[in-house]
Amino acid sequence: MSLLDDPKAAFADLSRPEGWVLGVSVAFVLFLFVAMLTGALGPTYFLFLVGLAGMYALLSFGLNAQWGFTGLINFSVAAFFGIGAYGTALMTASGSPIAGGFSPLVGLAVALVVALALALLIGIPTLRLRADYLAIASLGLAEVVRLIVLNERWLTNGSAGLRGIPGFFDGWPVLSTFPEAMPGLRLEVIPGSPVILETAFWQASLNVLLVLAFAGAAYFVLRRAHRSPWGRVLRTIRSDEDLARALGKNTYSFKMQSFVLGSLIMALAGVFYAHLNLYVGPGDLDPITTFYAWVAVILGGSGSNRGALFGGIVIVTIREGTRFLNDVALPIDPAPLRLLLIGVVIVAVMRYRPQGVLPPQRELIWPSAVGGGGTPETPDSGVRERKGGGDDE
Amino acid sequence: MTVLGYLANGLVFSSIIVLGSIGLSLVYSIADFANFAHGDTMTIGAYSALVTFGAVGGLGGAVLGLPYGFFLALVVGIAVAAVVAVATEKLIYEPLDVDSIGLLITSIGIAFIYRAVIQIRFGSDFTRFDVRPLRPIEALVPYGVRITLHDVAIFGSAVALVVGLHVLLQYTDLGRKMRAMADNPDLARVSGIRTKRVKLWTWVIGAGLAGAGGVFLGLFNQLAPRMGFNLLLVIFAAVILGGIGSVYGAMAGGFLIGMINQLTPFFSNVVEALPIRPNWLATVIENMITIEYANAIAFVIMVVVLLVRPNGIAGEGAT
Repeated sequence: MSLLDDPKAAFADLSRPEGWVLGVSVAFVLFLFVAMLTGALGPTYFLFLVGLAGMYALLSFGLNAQWGFTGLINFSVAAFFGIGAYGTALMTASGSPIAGGFSPLVGLAVALVVALALALLIGIPTLRLRADYLAIASLGLAEVVRLIVLNERWLTNGSAGLRGIPGFFDGWPVLSTFPEAMPGLRLEVIPGSPVILETAFWQASLNVLLVLAFAGAAYFVLRRAHRSPWGRVLRTIRSDEDLARALGKNTYSFKMQSFVLGSLIMALAGVFYAHLNLYVGPGDLDPITTFYAWVAVILGGSGSNRGALFGGIVIVTIREGTRFLNDVALPIDPAPLRLLLIGVVIVAVMRYRPQGVLPPQRELIWPSAVGGGGTPETPDSGVRERKGGGDDE
Repeated sequence: MTVLGYLANGLVFSSIIVLGSIGLSLVYSIADFANFAHGDTMTIGAYSALVTFGAVGGLGGAVLGLPYGFFLALVVGIAVAAVVAVATEKLIYEPLDVDSIGLLITSIGIAFIYRAVIQIRFGSDFTRFDVRPLRPIEALVPYGVRITLHDVAIFGSAVALVVGLHVLLQYTDLGRKMRAMADNPDLARVSGIRTKRVKLWTWVIGAGLAGAGGVFLGLFNQLAPRMGFNLLLVIFAAVILGGIGSVYGAMAGGFLIGMINQLTPFFSNVVEALPIRPNWLATVIENMITIEYANAIAFVIMVVVLLVRPNGIAGEGAT
């Protein structure tokens, strides 16, 4: 049952953590909104944050398709993110040493193709490995990718990075001139502190639109895939690979498919990032990006796309919150503080809630199988335990 | 530099890698997870030694160009690394109710916490131990070997520690228990070995050696909060090459990886001299075997070993 059909039942149906997360999120959004209306938070910056949250959510979706669905410990998230960003940047940027000047759509296509190639290159050797070996090997190969990007100056411009990346909608019929064409708006909610919406604001809202499109598409594809027979095979592999093999499934092939799917989504996040930031450098391939995505996924709940979304928002809060804290209150360098918070979140989740805040529950089953024609019936305990308790491993 | 020079550098760098890889391998086999915080344990050792050395000063005389105070600082670095690791085991790892993958992920969080605390306290810049840099040993320079007395000290201390560990493992009760536990934890337990206590000792030894490795790494290069994490993957490569769980394998793997790492410039000379046939292949190989890719070569070796011989050079064939 959807929210629109029966809002009351939908709310009553929320489990306690779901209600809790919903409450906190709503309160947080309200807080940001009030901050924006009073002028404490620039609307353009607010939209930048939303874009960033969407980007981390995309990264988490990608990782979720690998770790959450299939149980692949991929520590090369940063490599795919970076390859996506570099793929589009090399095609579109004016400072690109090899091509440059193409439409961002070409950049998007090239980024996805390069990411696909990299996924096969990393996946073919490593996906046969045991789980913990896969973790180490993928982290090592991600470092190799980073070193290549850093050192092959003729290809990537080396440590200087790539400048002059156009916005994603450059060269599109209407949207490329949309920000300039929109009138500047002046809202005065609280007398004396007007909120001014200008070209930059409209530009940022276009970016948000873009990431919403990317994330929305990824979300629906993943949700559909996760519930499908294909997704069920992946879940079987995650909980018992030998069982999946005994049932006649070619687990290596399934693992490869989920690895490629996730990698493409990560590259999508990289493409968005390149056109949001308008600059990419080898620092974007730093392993910390990998662990941001990991924190988002394990915090949200492995296998849960809603959880990944929630995790993405938490990551942005940590990233930008530490910067904000540094500006106003604590004279602590934001970089180590961020690292500390990430570390504490990882340890706390593993200690107190290893299944994550929003472990997958009903999202794994066809709605019609649970709903029973509109009247929500309480699932019997066996089913609920199986879905709610996360995996046994 | 001559081949001998590269070999000498390799020997010194290998000593550091060996100290790191033994601990990682011990913990991998006895606590049964890949400890991503191991590199940052090295950093802890290095910075503890830095603080101690700054506080006590030289203490008079000197051996091998290093003041007595430095050796005291080394001991403190080892001790602090061991204490921190044991406290982490007691407070974090032991109460956890997760599998080895969960422990692996937790150890990443621990690594970040270690590094963040060091970075908050000391900043992210490079620092050095306050010992006078030495000139290379004159007698060896004609052979193209440019190593200092400090390098000799690093190598000597590492050999002493490794021999000490060998004696401990082979001839003491604790060593026998540790080997039993690495072989088969359940069997060790039913035979009456207090596995929890052995595990704690494993942490003490592993982290202590890592602390020593960190101090030497700081002496060999510089100190920075990222020093340990940057070396972690190289150490993993060494452990995997040697065969996970085998201490002697880790020593061999650490030695090989350290050597390959420092010999990369020599290999690149060799490759240039070789007549490799299709020209593009020659260009690619020449581009890949350069000093910038010294670490990347280690990682690629690691992946190849995992694929071809997952039990490493010390293992009894592949599973």
